[in-house]
Amino acid sequence: MSDRAPSFWVIARRPRWIGALVLCLAIAGGFAALGQWQLARSFDAGAAPVEQTETVRPLSAIGEPQRPVAADTTGQLVRFEAEFVPDDYVVLSDRINLSGPGFWVVGHAVVDDGPSMAVALGWAATADDAAAAIAELQQDPPPRAMEGRYLPTESPQETDFENGQRSVLAVPELINLWSVTPDGVYGGYVLAADAPAGLDEIDSPRPISEVSLNLLNVFYAIEWVIFAGFAIFLWYRLVRDAWEEETAEEAEESLLDPAVE
Amino acid sequence: MPIGPRPADIPRIRRAISVYKVSSIITGTFLLLLCAAMVTRYGFGVDLQLFGPYGFMYFEQKELITGINFTTVVLIAHGWLYVLYLGTDFVLWRLIRWSFGRFLFIALGGVIPLLSFFLERRVPAQAEAAITRASATAERVTV
Repeated sequence: MSDRAPSFWVIARRPRWIGALVLCLAIAGGFAALGQWQLARSFDAGAAPVEQTETVRPLSAIGEPQRPVAADTTGQLVRFEAEFVPDDYVVLSDRINLSGPGFWVVGHAVVDDGPSMAVALGWAATADDAAAAIAELQQDPPPRAMEGRYLPTESPQETDFENGQRSVLAVPELINLWSVTPDGVYGGYVLAADAPAGLDEIDSPRPISEVSLNLLNVFYAIEWVIFAGFAIFLWYRLVRDAWEEETAEEAEESLLDPAVE
Repeated sequence: MPIGPRPADIPRIRRAISVYKVSSIITGTFLLLLCAAMVTRYGFGVDLQLFGPYGFMYFEQKELITGINFTTVVLIAHGWLYVLYLGTDFVLWRLIRWSFGRFLFIALGGVIPLLSFFLERRVPAQAEAAITRASATAERVTV
């Protein structure tokens, strides 16, 4: 009787079941795509994507005077045109570059339409180097066209400013130090991309975007993967059903009619 | 034609039937809750909030919800309970060796409102019928 009953693979190769397999694969593919979609949705990026911050954009499109820096524009590369106030250079201590701790030279830039912007121009290893660079900047001001990374102001409490120590770039503190009263000020500061002569560039890596994981979407993604596997399994089960059915019919016939054996 | 259950599976089928009945009632209830949630969310633009600032449970615009968004909880719970329902559907379908169409029809019970309550009656009856047929065949074969 076994040679009369078709094997599993003979049934599986019938056009009907090949068609069913194609259908099941298509469904599984659809489920896998849905799983991909859920997986993509499970990463909810809080900060701007890298490509966005690494494209230089005009400052006017990113920030406004008298406003804090928005989360999705933090670390954005910006360009603007500004005039530097010669008497308003400030030196900050304990600023760490890749080459070690040192000093920042911070300038007071008056952006074309009036408001002021603090610009961290460059890094120097010693206070003397920084002072020398400032003397040079007062003779030969930085270029009008500035480019750099726009960052939120640091908090003034973190420095011992009462004892003349200044190591944070706090815009509200700088306003008090500047000789020219600003006509509005940006809530952040700009890390200049190119340092003027005598100073090193300040290292400013692109921002790391904080990514939060949405577990619900992760589980949905897993669910779709299981469903996709199930679609394939269903095909196998259905072919097997057909095979069992035919085998059972054979068995039944042979039971009713012993002559078949 | 499907071949019907194996006689040896009959105790397992009975267990699967009782699990299916519980699951179909839960799924049916959550489907009705989901329909109500859709009406409030898309009809009236409000979600049901639990433990909000102004009381235990009340309707609030989705954006203003600070407590637990009960509407969303219902949505998520229905999704997972429906998967459970599909699981019981699958087990029953496998054990009784029904046709694939019937598997799909039972699966619809978690999608079409109120259908699962009818199925909760109909499916066990059909399962019992299949069991009876299978026992009869088994007897015929053994005799």
